[in-house]
Amino acid sequence: MNARRLKRFVALWWLPVALVAGWWFLSLGRDSFYFPSLQKILAVLWRDLTTGNLLAWHGISLGNMAAGLAIAIVAGTLIGLLIGEFEGLRRAATPTLNFLRSIPPAAIVPLVIVAMGIGSAPKIFIIALACFWPVLLNTIDGVRGIPPQLRDTVKAFRIPLALRFRRVLVMAALPQIMAGIRIAIAVALVLMVISEFFGASVGVGFYINEAKQRFAMPETWAGTVLIGILGYVLSALFLRLERWLLAWYFQDSRTQGDEGA
Amino acid sequence: MNQMASSDMTGALKPRPVVVNRLSKSYGQVGVIAGLDMRVDPGEFVSIVGPSGVGKTTLLRCLSGLMPPTSGEVTVGGQKVTEPLGEIGLVFQDYRGSLMPWMTTLDNVAFPLQGRGVAKAEREKIARRWLDDVGLAGAAEKYPWELSGGMQQRVAIARALAYDAHILLMDEPFGSLDAQTRLGLEDLVLRLRRRLGFSVILVTHDIDEAVYMADRVVVLSGKPATVIDTVAIDLGMERDQIATKSDPRFVDYRNRVLSRFIGKDHA
Repeated sequence: MNARRLKRFVALWWLPVALVAGWWFLSLGRDSFYFPSLQKILAVLWRDLTTGNLLAWHGISLGNMAAGLAIAIVAGTLIGLLIGEFEGLRRAATPTLNFLRSIPPAAIVPLVIVAMGIGSAPKIFIIALACFWPVLLNTIDGVRGIPPQLRDTVKAFRIPLALRFRRVLVMAALPQIMAGIRIAIAVALVLMVISEFFGASVGVGFYINEAKQRFAMPETWAGTVLIGILGYVLSALFLRLERWLLAWYFQDSRTQGDEGA
Repeated sequence: MNQMASSDMTGALKPRPVVVNRLSKSYGQVGVIAGLDMRVDPGEFVSIVGPSGVGKTTLLRCLSGLMPPTSGEVTVGGQKVTEPLGEIGLVFQDYRGSLMPWMTTLDNVAFPLQGRGVAKAEREKIARRWLDDVGLAGAAEKYPWELSGGMQQRVAIARALAYDAHILLMDEPFGSLDAQTRLGLEDLVLRLRRRLGFSVILVTHDIDEAVYMADRVVVLSGKPATVIDTVAIDLGMERDQIATKSDPRFVDYRNRVLSRFIGKDHA
């Protein structure tokens, strides 16, 4: 690592490292009931990950989240492309969409649990439903924001409908679709945890809630920290995926404005 | 070098005539074009000039079938234009907005052929040949944003020709390029046209460019716009940026168009 990269690395990481170190040392040896030391939290986290159920539960939670997200991304993108492209459809769907999306997803959790029972299905459903909105709305915006020049080009060269969707609309809307997915990932994480607070017997959310109910504070904290780490890792991974998938977009907008030869 | 079924042995295209008949276009109460007549004969190069905002782009959009006229009609070979035709290729001023940044240069040129159902290997072969023809042989795998403005516009020209355009509609295609690049592209289009025999309708506000490139210059003026003059440019097929532009006849043509432009009866 050369000096410049080291400098950038330090500039990026000094604050989080300082915060964690601060937490670690300030909480060390001062074991209050509600705020156990970071050392203890991490020890419990490690213990439950390696010898307890937490790792397996973590896998189940992630599986639900992945399934819910996948459904939301596929459905949100497909329906969003159609609604964005066809004016009549958009006009018909807008009032309904505005009503449905204003219902906070967390509010329907109890309803869904009652209706669908325990197990993975209701959780996946809740995550998919909540994540559907940001993907859908961003996709619609993305399609509507396609520059008129590009539309003219597609029309002038008589690009057939299926090809237009597949190679033009999806791609032109992709920056917005990705922005929607980024929001959806954050939403999915929230709903993944909340959906496991009710009618669950496995999962990270269940782990947190169950620990809380028996006042096992280090475990409650451990679950929370795990979710935090998960959220961070997911968004970092997604950022990389986005940079890679949208390389053309970032390059294109960077050179935007250089005119002439 | 072209791939047309209707080409003869020499490879020259046989474009159909374009006839504009009493074409009017208004947006609400505002008339943009009123009762415009013009025609473009097979293989002819017609420049349409007029001051900014006179409705040149509107006319071109009606000609291409992207926009329906309010009244009157455009016919190609007697067939009324109601939607973009397969034999018309468009080159827009905003090359950046008309090329797809997620596709390589090759894909951009080949894409309209995919829409026609041409197999992948075949359409890429055709696209490569045309890229080669516009001097971009080495840029096939590059993305549009890796190319200069002039090169991007060459891609757009290659795309229109690969699409088998018999009639090229160009909307201020060189307007946002620097002078040197513009001259190079003008000559490229003239060269290709001499070889292939396609018709060209060029919309421009640059009078020198209009006269230099065309067989006929149509001058638009007024609100709503009509044709106020048509100038036949009898300078032959071979044009040269220096020799042609210093030819006294060129200067006369140019002055006649210019006088129409600024509204004095110079000629």
